[in-house]
Amino acid sequence: MPRTLKKSLPHIALLGYLLVVLFPFLFVLFSSVKKDNNSIALNPFGIPKEFVFNNYVEAWVNAKISTYFFNSLYISVLASVVSILLASMFAFAVTRMRQGKWNTILFSLVLIGMLIPNNALMLPIYTIVRKLHILNSHWALIIPYIANAIPFTIIILAAFMRSLPSEIEEAAVMDGLKAPGIFAKIIVPLTVPAMVTVFIVNFLGNWNEFLLANYFLSNDELRTLPVGMVQFRDQYQMNYAQMSAGIVYSVLPVVIIYAVLQEKIIEGVTAGSVKG
Amino acid sequence: MNKALRNPLVFILFVIPALTLFFVFFIYPIFSSIYYSFTSWNGVSDTVKYTGLDNFKKALGDDRFWVSVKNNGWFILFSVFIQVPLIVFFSLLIANVKKLKGLYKTAVFMPSIMSTAVIGILWGFIYEPNIGLFNKLLGLFGVEPIYWLSDERFAMLSILITNAWQWTGFYIVMVLAAILSIPSELDEAAAIDGATGFQRATRITLPLIVPIISVVIMLSIAGAMKAADIVIVMTKGGPAGSTEVMATYMIKYAITNFKYGYGNTIAVLIFVFTLVVTALYQLLFNRRSERIEY
Repeated sequence: MPRTLKKSLPHIALLGYLLVVLFPFLFVLFSSVKKDNNSIALNPFGIPKEFVFNNYVEAWVNAKISTYFFNSLYISVLASVVSILLASMFAFAVTRMRQGKWNTILFSLVLIGMLIPNNALMLPIYTIVRKLHILNSHWALIIPYIANAIPFTIIILAAFMRSLPSEIEEAAVMDGLKAPGIFAKIIVPLTVPAMVTVFIVNFLGNWNEFLLANYFLSNDELRTLPVGMVQFRDQYQMNYAQMSAGIVYSVLPVVIIYAVLQEKIIEGVTAGSVKG
Repeated sequence: MNKALRNPLVFILFVIPALTLFFVFFIYPIFSSIYYSFTSWNGVSDTVKYTGLDNFKKALGDDRFWVSVKNNGWFILFSVFIQVPLIVFFSLLIANVKKLKGLYKTAVFMPSIMSTAVIGILWGFIYEPNIGLFNKLLGLFGVEPIYWLSDERFAMLSILITNAWQWTGFYIVMVLAAILSIPSELDEAAAIDGATGFQRATRITLPLIVPIISVVIMLSIAGAMKAADIVIVMTKGGPAGSTEVMATYMIKYAITNFKYGYGNTIAVLIFVFTLVVTALYQLLFNRRSERIEY
């Protein structure tokens, strides 16, 4: 008996922690199908007595969650793809091309970027974006998001490219390929696994970004999901059932991505942070 | 073969786009921040007035600024002394269980992939005085409703709890990865020598993961210094400025109140404080954590 107890003690502690992590989600999920504040107040912990799915319809229509959703989606995808493209070109140049000490100098310069707390740079970036006359357009987010992701992306991709054997290039040169061809036809296809990891990490970062999205856009039609949700909460403060439906909308895509790709996400984050 | 990969023109074309963005969005902003921190400017007009150290004197004598510094301090203390021990404790537990390991690892990480803004909203609802989860739970024990986010005594704590809820799992996964990469022979050898699970955890695993714990602490400090969105979403710095942090104070001045020069002074101070705290940490605690070879 004491032996089984000893074995189950860690599980008791861990399940307790799991409850703390998951219960807020359940609370919101349940609240989102309850009739109104009153039925939430009377039964805050339990499964709803009747299911009111109208909250979801109201949130989608009234709060324009669909607009925010697609804004977020295309900004995040575009910015992540471009930063991977630019970073992989850079990483290829400094890891595979032979430019002596320039390789090291440029790479270390970009490494410094990892040490800079980037939201302290928000004010100058605000001014740059205003001077480029892209304030209050989606470019005000896309370009800074691309730039922000570059140091981390370069570090991960460069580490991966360095590990590729140099024989493949020799063979490629024999076949008459020049540097751009080697990059596009040989190195990029081989780097795809690392790119997928970096894409997910960058995508989630952009999808969740709040500060720039909140201050660089003032037109409601342009807003991204996190900012739209905060707006929505401020407007519908008193209707918690509907607000919960809104939260479910904004959390659901991330949970789905996570469920499918969790191994990759965790792998990417551990790789990035241990090196950073 | 060497010729193809030595083409300087191609090299330049490949590094220029990323390098340009890097200079425009990292290097230039640093110098721009430093420059404007010595000026009085509203961010829009044509006249930029050089004011020397005035802004810095003003900040150091600004009580509300010091409240924000103190709140960043709370973030650091809470993560280092409450979160980190929990992270280590739960990582060790997860590493040593055989069943459900995958479930624990996957579930604990989930809050970290969510938008901080949405987490702020979600927890705002949990802290809601009348129908929120916390007060309902306390109500079961007969505790009067607490106004978590609008009471100066509890607002900061409420934010710290939410922040910990969001990030603990993220660090657990990092520490877990380090623990699982320790060769199992070490543990097995100790087990054969009769060491208990607790002894193995504290005498073998723990010393070996000191470097990663150090990384976690550094990352928490960096995270604490730049905390902003969670505060903006949950309390907007209130009640009465009691949850203001340096980054929100900076934004409030520069963007909302058009004191662009002073805002940049605060940005520079965020840099300086972060550097000082990290350097102090490295000097005081990080001497012993040399690289560990198995």
